[in-house]
Amino acid sequence: MLSGALAVATAHNNVMTADRSPLSDGALVDSARQGDMRAFERLYRLHSARVMGVCLRMCRRRDVAEDCVQQTFVRAWRNLSAFEGRSAFGTWLHRIAVNEVLTYARNHGTRTEGDDSLDAADEGSQATPGEFDASEVMDVERALATLPEGARHVVVLQAVYGYSHEEVADMLGIAVGTCKAQLHRGRRLLRERMGLGDAPLAEVES
Amino acid sequence: MNHKHSDPLDRALGSLPRDVQPERDLWSDIRAEISTPSAATRSASPRAAMRLWMSLAAGFLLIVASSVTTYVITQQAAQKKLLVAQQAAAAQLQQAPAVAVMPASFGGQEAMSAEYLRARQALDAEFQRQIKTLPPVTRAKLERNLADLRRAASEISATLAEHPNHALLQELLLSTYQSELALLGSVTNLSVPTLTSTPSETRL
Repeated sequence: MLSGALAVATAHNNVMTADRSPLSDGALVDSARQGDMRAFERLYRLHSARVMGVCLRMCRRRDVAEDCVQQTFVRAWRNLSAFEGRSAFGTWLHRIAVNEVLTYARNHGTRTEGDDSLDAADEGSQATPGEFDASEVMDVERALATLPEGARHVVVLQAVYGYSHEEVADMLGIAVGTCKAQLHRGRRLLRERMGLGDAPLAEVES
Repeated sequence: MNHKHSDPLDRALGSLPRDVQPERDLWSDIRAEISTPSAATRSASPRAAMRLWMSLAAGFLLIVASSVTTYVITQQAAQKKLLVAQQAAAAQLQQAPAVAVMPASFGGQEAMSAEYLRARQALDAEFQRQIKTLPPVTRAKLERNLADLRRAASEISATLAEHPNHALLQELLLSTYQSELALLGSVTNLSVPTLTSTPSETRL
């Protein structure tokens, strides 16, 4: 389901790119701060797809992801005055989105693994039954969805969206060391599930 | 960098689309939600209104309390000043006791007539009665002026006893008595006798 949705969604990417406004985020944010809802709608049009990507890959459910996106923009509108412009507006939105996903997971108990510690990271037993078959060679999207929550969050934010260890640790409220360990764990699980063989020596040493 | 490109996992992760379009347009729901005040704002409104009214009430009470305090303090200060003025006037009156009953004399050669003394006595009695009805400040001022006149008359009279033929002193004493009578008359509304001076006698 997720892979199909992502495939359809990918077709919109070109439209999104073409739809980019010549107005900078900063100018739109300034207008939105003055109560200009059109400017904020423009920000929504520019950033909603990427926020949706983060939310969907983190929580794996489209309906939940859309709720998180909606709440992300509502919260952003109400807290525009708190945006200081020290980071990109998109990064600020992603932080809110990650927080929304984590809050949803806490409130609804959607964590697929009872203990996210590395000691409990025996990959075969961590995924929800029926989500993947150990003998199946998956594409990366599907393999990503089967990762334990902690590892998935880190891999999504770091390997897919390019945030640093420090940024990811800050977003998720975990230690940088934990972040690194989860990334290593996630990559190992991905390799196994995608049938990619052993990790390069450099990754093993890191 | 080469390692990243050569690693099939990195290639696979790098090929993932970063953007995923929501299946439905979320903007209408977002707009509806941000167009209405949040629950926190809505629930805060009555509290804000209550705080506003409390602030206004507190401010009003502060103004009233301040006004009352100022009024009381001002009144106390005025009463104190009045009391001091009254005490000062009373003291001055006591310092000039002889004037009221002093037989008017001009160097011992002429005496004030009995008619003048009766009229003066009547004026003085009426003055004492009327002055009690006047405002305290006015009363203190009149009493102080009367005491000044009577003290001056007493001193002139004493000097005149040493220089009985001094015409200027005689005129001065006459003028002082006249002023005293005018003062008494201004309060009592009684007719004030006119003092006249002759070379040999001063009569009413």
